[in-house]
Amino acid sequence: MNQAESILSLRDVEKTFAGHCAVDGVSLDVARGEVVAVIGPSGSGKSTMLRCINLLEVPDRGTITVDGTDLDTSGTVSARDLTQLRRRVGMVFQSFNLFPHMTVLRNISLPQERVLGRSRDEADRRSMELLERVGLQQKADAYPAKCSGGQQQRVAIARALALDPEIMLFDEPTSALDPELGLEVLAVMRQLADTGMTMIVVTHEIHFAATVADRLIVMADGRILEQGPPQQVLDDPQHARTRTFLSAIKDR
Amino acid sequence: MKSAIFSDWAEWLPRLLDGLWVSVQVTGLSLIIGLAAGLLLALAAFARTRLLTWPAILLVEIGRGMPALVMLQLVYFGLPSVGLTLETYAAVVLALSLTTAAYTSEIIRAGLRAVPDGELEAADALGMSRGDVMRFVVIPQGLRIALPTLLGFAILIFQISSLAFSLGLPELLSQAYSIGAATFRYLDVLTLAGLLYLAVTIPAGWLVARFERRLSRHLTT
Amino acid sequence: MDVLPIIVAAIPVTLGVTAASFAIGAVLGLALVAGRRSRWTVVRGLSRSVVEVLRGIPPIVLLFIIFFGIGSGALRMEPFQAAVIGLGLVSAAHLSEVYRGSLLAVPKGQFEAADALGLSRSTTSARVIAPQAFRVAMPGMVTWAISLLKDSALVSTIGVAEIMSVTNQHARSSGDGLMPFILAAAVYIAIGTPLAIWSRWLEKRFARIRKAA
Repeated sequence: MNQAESILSLRDVEKTFAGHCAVDGVSLDVARGEVVAVIGPSGSGKSTMLRCINLLEVPDRGTITVDGTDLDTSGTVSARDLTQLRRRVGMVFQSFNLFPHMTVLRNISLPQERVLGRSRDEADRRSMELLERVGLQQKADAYPAKCSGGQQQRVAIARALALDPEIMLFDEPTSALDPELGLEVLAVMRQLADTGMTMIVVTHEIHFAATVADRLIVMADGRILEQGPPQQVLDDPQHARTRTFLSAIKDR
Repeated sequence: MKSAIFSDWAEWLPRLLDGLWVSVQVTGLSLIIGLAAGLLLALAAFARTRLLTWPAILLVEIGRGMPALVMLQLVYFGLPSVGLTLETYAAVVLALSLTTAAYTSEIIRAGLRAVPDGELEAADALGMSRGDVMRFVVIPQGLRIALPTLLGFAILIFQISSLAFSLGLPELLSQAYSIGAATFRYLDVLTLAGLLYLAVTIPAGWLVARFERRLSRHLTT
Repeated sequence: MDVLPIIVAAIPVTLGVTAASFAIGAVLGLALVAGRRSRWTVVRGLSRSVVEVLRGIPPIVLLFIIFFGIGSGALRMEPFQAAVIGLGLVSAAHLSEVYRGSLLAVPKGQFEAADALGLSRSTTSARVIAPQAFRVAMPGMVTWAISLLKDSALVSTIGVAEIMSVTNQHARSSGDGLMPFILAAAVYIAIGTPLAIWSRWLEKRFARIRKAA
């Protein structure tokens, strides 16, 4: 894949926590509109890598390029660059992290008003549009506590989308959910992939990875073990570690 | 005999109620001033620069570490030697405000810290500025979490206001004591004063407990 | 500064009042919490009322009732006795609340498991519940000890010659109202701070144990 068409690239990104190397020199290019699924055993560094992309974890070394803008992470990143980066990269968390003291609508509108400077009307209009897209317009005035986990996660997706990001990061978005609630979240993500959104999804949902992702990445020990088209990786894994990991989830 | 006690009580009651009113006043004023200062101290202690954090924490620890009685005497007898002489009433309000600020800032800080990290991360990931995160996410929730404890403290500072007796402020305990000194009926008049304190603190305690239950129900479901 | 030796000399009195009141409170508090968990509604209600009254009344008012009220009439009392009785009663109420909270923190499954094993009620209490509850209660008990240390300053008002009392006397006689009180505050903080650190350490250790379990 050549540099010109990639919207995101990581170069030799490294992150160490208290002597433990969580991400060990990862390089990665993602094309505009590509959907990348990342799997791997827990502790393999997949979440940390994802959090390095929007600098929730600041890497110790390496470069992150979003749509032509380089961020050298070994120095200090200015607040302006950080805001710029986060406007363009949306993130969805395992634990939803909605603001419990605000209604669903306020959760989605407030960041638009504060970060993009939209008026309240404008922001609310956009929020309602997105709520409709995730099928929750009737929940606009409810508080998060009155929504199921699946509904909260769909609201969280709408909240991230409201800032019109170019890339969406998903950090195990269904891991905290009962299976049937996970499905409604996956459906929203599938729909989002169909619209051409660039997505990086850390997940344990092999079926989602196989059917929606353009590329599957397997991580272990902070490195990319192998990657390729999902069917190929799943049917014909090259590494013994990949095989062990895949049989462990498939045989469950 | 019994009716004699009650007729005495009826005779003392107006003076004691006057005293109670003074107690309530200084409590209220100290809470208003002290809470505002406590919030500022909590925000300073929560800040990212040590330049703000350390002095704030030091002040709070000193304020909480000394007995309220020492604070009262220090303000009333000590400040004149640095050129600031206050009337009794003002000295009591200032001392109780300082004590309130120290305690409430610690309560508020604990509330701010109790806001889940995940929400702060989400706000960061959305590109919200540090100031916005404090204003829209941390402070509203932190204060709500701290509210029951703050109300509990309000009851405590009402009790503490009785120490103003030592400076001669004519609050409830002073009134009771001086009636006792005049009549030698200490037990009767002090018991009556105790009942008046209880008439405020016990129902207030119930209300706080009920409020706390309602609040926790609202947040967990 | 010449007041410092006088204050230091009064430290044992402050510690004595604090320790004696704490000891009385620790024992009476057990009785109160037992009462609150009693089978009989009357005992439960009575214990609860005692706790509410003792926690609701300002400690200085209680001290005055005991020393000037009761002490001037039927029962002659030394200031020290009145001080320890008053603060001991207040401590009993607060410590019973600490005990109660720690008992609530012992998981229900522990009672059920002990029942299922056929342990008697007293064995269950003494061998299973109390050790666990005590560990939970420790930080709260130390926190109360710190409050009590500061509350002990109140007994200066009934004439016990502890830190606050000698400080006040010196301030009056020397006409210096600033330095003595600053030094007194420093002494209270110097005694209280190690206790506060200990309490925080206990709390952290308990949180770690609970996490590991």
